[in-house]
Amino acid sequence: MYVCLCKGVTSQTVSEVVAQGASTTKKVAKACGAGSDCGRCRRTVRAIIEAALMAPETR
Amino acid sequence: MRSLVIASDYRVPDPTRVPQLLESRKPALADIGAHHVIVHASTIDHGRVLVSIAVRNRQPIVDLLRSRVFFEWFDAVGVEDIPAVFAGELVDRIDLTDAADSWPPGVIVAAMTSVPDVSSVIEHVHLALDRFRAAGIRKTWIFQAFDDPREVMILQEIGDENSARRWIEDPDSAAEWMENAGMGAYPPLFVGKFLHMMRIDETD
Repeated sequence: MYVCLCKGVTSQTVSEVVAQGASTTKKVAKACGAGSDCGRCRRTVRAIIEAALMAPETR
Repeated sequence: MRSLVIASDYRVPDPTRVPQLLESRKPALADIGAHHVIVHASTIDHGRVLVSIAVRNRQPIVDLLRSRVFFEWFDAVGVEDIPAVFAGELVDRIDLTDAADSWPPGVIVAAMTSVPDVSSVIEHVHLALDRFRAAGIRKTWIFQAFDDPREVMILQEIGDENSARRWIEDPDSAAEWMENAGMGAYPPLFVGKFLHMMRIDETD
């Protein structure tokens, strides 16, 4: 899924940076650019962060 | 020239305005190579729509999605938070209908999700066609994403609301993709009906 249309960042990339420790939308934006331009994808970025927090392997 | 489908699932203040707004954007959609736009409206979640755009275009997908057409579209329909967008191609289409049972239009159940292996999903579906038919499944379209080979969008047309409800509550084991819908960037399962189709000619 393309999450950030401005920067062309996919959900796979966002998930990777979240797995590497980006735990807020600001940290994700800094790590891969998603949400750093118009910011209208931040809700989806938050959903990816929340899903990662709920995943059993990250508990 | 590459054929692709761009789809997204989001909530709009008034789904009945979507066809008219699409018509007013025909020239812009023609500019990006769109040739068909299909809109489904949710029957269980008012305001939710699934919009699928079939495109023929030479541009890299990222450049296409970055074009103003999409931002202007979301502005026009009143969508502030831009949803995740699926971009991929049709990899399988299964039609289980006879001429007699293809009318009236059925219920669409759509899932965008990640699966371990798309080719094994296709194989499992083909082995389960008799069970799919018995469950009321008329058609199945499987799209595979360009950006992630494990990502799919799977649309199924089911005969009626009751069969769709039963299928969602207790899907066949071959419909493994239904389990993970709604996680992370993926929207929850979409259940709806056809609302509008717009054909766009190159001259539009």
